[in-house]
Amino acid sequence: MRKALFLFLILTLALFVFARDYITIGTTDKIRILDPADCYDYFSSNILQNTMAGLVDYEVGGTEIIPWLAESWNISDDGLVYTFHLRKDAHFMNGHPIDANALKFSFDRVIKLNGDPAFLLSDVIAETRVVDDYTFEVTLQYPFSAFIAVLGYTVAYPVDPAVTPADDFFYDVPIASGPYYIADWERDVQLVLKANPEYFGPKPKTETIVIRFYQNASTLRLALESGEIDVAYRTLDPRDLLILKTDPRYVVYEGQSPAIRELVFNVKMPPYNKVNVRKAIAYAVDRSYIVDDVFAGTVEPLYTLVPIGMWSHLDVMPERNLEKARELLRAEGYSESNPLEIELWYTPSHYGSTEADVVQVLKEAIEETGLVKVDIKYAEWATYIDYFINGYIGAFLLGWYPDYLDPDDYLWPFLSKSGAASMGAFYENALIETMMIQSRAESDVAIRTEINEDVQRVLAIDVPYVPLWQGKQYCVTYPYVKGVVLEPSQIFRYYLLYTEE
Amino acid sequence: MSLKWYILTRILLAIPMFFILLLLIFVVLRILPGDPVLSMLGGKAPMSVIEAKRHELGYDRPLLNQFGDYLLGVLKGDLGRSALTKRPIADEIADKLPATIELTIFGFIIALVIGIFWGAEATKRHGGILDVTGRVYAIFIYSIPVFWLGMLFQWLFGVKLKWLPIAGRISPLIKPEKITGMYIFDALFTWNLPALKDASLHIILPSVALGLIISSVFLRMVRGNMVLMLSQDFVKAARARGIKENSVIYRHALKNAFVPIMTVMGLQFAALMAGAVLTETTFSWPGIGSYLIEKIRYRDFPAIQGTIAVYAIIVVAISIIVDIMNALVDPRVRY
Repeated sequence: MRKALFLFLILTLALFVFARDYITIGTTDKIRILDPADCYDYFSSNILQNTMAGLVDYEVGGTEIIPWLAESWNISDDGLVYTFHLRKDAHFMNGHPIDANALKFSFDRVIKLNGDPAFLLSDVIAETRVVDDYTFEVTLQYPFSAFIAVLGYTVAYPVDPAVTPADDFFYDVPIASGPYYIADWERDVQLVLKANPEYFGPKPKTETIVIRFYQNASTLRLALESGEIDVAYRTLDPRDLLILKTDPRYVVYEGQSPAIRELVFNVKMPPYNKVNVRKAIAYAVDRSYIVDDVFAGTVEPLYTLVPIGMWSHLDVMPERNLEKARELLRAEGYSESNPLEIELWYTPSHYGSTEADVVQVLKEAIEETGLVKVDIKYAEWATYIDYFINGYIGAFLLGWYPDYLDPDDYLWPFLSKSGAASMGAFYENALIETMMIQSRAESDVAIRTEINEDVQRVLAIDVPYVPLWQGKQYCVTYPYVKGVVLEPSQIFRYYLLYTEE
Repeated sequence: MSLKWYILTRILLAIPMFFILLLLIFVVLRILPGDPVLSMLGGKAPMSVIEAKRHELGYDRPLLNQFGDYLLGVLKGDLGRSALTKRPIADEIADKLPATIELTIFGFIIALVIGIFWGAEATKRHGGILDVTGRVYAIFIYSIPVFWLGMLFQWLFGVKLKWLPIAGRISPLIKPEKITGMYIFDALFTWNLPALKDASLHIILPSVALGLIISSVFLRMVRGNMVLMLSQDFVKAARARGIKENSVIYRHALKNAFVPIMTVMGLQFAALMAGAVLTETTFSWPGIGSYLIEKIRYRDFPAIQGTIAVYAIIVVAISIIVDIMNALVDPRVRY
């Protein structure tokens, strides 16, 4: 009896001191679907980026495109035909080869199933062709220089034709082709990744990665503090970040993020159909107030749509100038006794709990002109989209998260006629559209930069948007976790992580 | 009315109630602003894609047709597919429901134990220390939001004392084999001790937070009814016969005070399942409450409809069971 008791005690103790040979990452994000053909949200993509492979990848820590499944590629002189030469040692985890057939099957499947991200391929691809087992060819509908960048996104990751349904999405896990495979997945609870022995690339430094899903930022912080997780990634409250930054028990990593935030005007709706009104508001907004007071310096002010750190970025929007703002408003007939009255819209939960503060700060900054009265309005995200896409609201806050890292993804979706309509701006400018089509067709980066800069200058003249700030990404870990690289591409690579006591 | 007839009418009456509820949720979802397709695609996809999606999901069809299909589906036990994940909703709910039931059961037990014993003890000495503290406790705890109490617990027992895990149902990598989906019972059935220990530790904070809040309702209910019972003649008679006070309280008074308490208990069990929504989000408990919140956020019509239908079935079933139990305990209820 005593022996049994002793054994029991030892076993219980062993349970407590049992060393962990895995890294646990906590997040408030969700996984929606892990089929590349339908996956279009940040975290689902991030899991695919760690478990699958694509034709091309972003270099670690940078934005340059590097070979992955494709060892090299040629682009025809007219910019229409892309020929990819594939590496011959790439296999899915079940042993099936990742060859040109798999790529053709996958690209055609994406276009046929027409899932959420499918338009990224279907809008540009005319035809796909298997030249031989390891040569894959794509013909475009029109020359599109950002196409290679698009291929870096998960929508272009090949799936195994032998086991993937051709006419429906799959809802469980894909056959791995990347550094990890998914060993266990319980939706909204946890995901367990284990090193994929068949992967042709560098071996993961940690055999097992566990991801735990939390419902809100405060639980995520508590989970980190209680030691339940080793890494907190997306998304802690800015105020919590400030506190954790000063706490020596944790390491706070800070990286650039391609996510931008902007104020949108519906240019068809009075009074925003007057360019002077839009410009006056652009002069009145106070970015430093937002950056310092609301975000405690955890974001950067932004003066154009193309984010800081990306080629073609050019500051075009004016610095704050209340005199200029008043001048423009007076020119439109507004005065202290007859102020401009506007509704400023935001959505309370989609962009985090800081949004209500942002809109309050904006209101104060704009009202400081003395010539504008701002009425703050809000709607839940689903309603909000309904409102702006149908043109019911005139001035509202939106955010943009890129699909591919190219200035094109920050200009075309905002300033082309179809893009502006889907943003609720309804902006139309034939000249700017022609310029962007030129830039898309051009493969010379220097020439594209020139055109992109001109496009941004037009943005400052017409002001359908007022870019406000650019986010940063954060990751908080215990000091024993090493290998965290916060990339401009936002790909969080788990295979680089390791622990060191 | 015989008991058989009573039960039958009770069940028949529940059917129109259930369908009115389904119709209500269907209509309300569609009257409220917010387009499910737009929120799914996040305003990023071109118009053509949005239209195609709307057509694919059948949202461009007449409302009456949509409701007809939905009703037919529910009758056949098919709740449709989630617009967001595209998985069958019945499967998704079956994944989540055991977690909520598990949490509710433990929360309920805690509430019952605290509520009944404290309530009964408080009436033993009317105006005594247990009575006064009980009344203060009931008011105090009832006015505390469950998420606030939850966060306090997480901070105290998870971060400061490091005694208990603060979120989730079980630690990664030690999930027990699935039988009921309720980890504690599954771990017991398969005699998986590490999993049993881990799951038990995980359920303490959420179930205590949930149980405490509900216990105040029970406490007041038990106390109120007991005070009433103790002034009845049969209690006086029992005391006069020299029966021990404990026996008077628990075997005579409590038993007779039970009819109204049982009704409230039934309703509270249903309310617990709903109260679990807030508890679940606070403790990242992957139950049906968290599921519903997530689906509402994305305007996932089929999933919201399905979840509410399941809730409705549970609430209706519980109210039927409570009525039947009451009818068994007290035959006067049947007439």
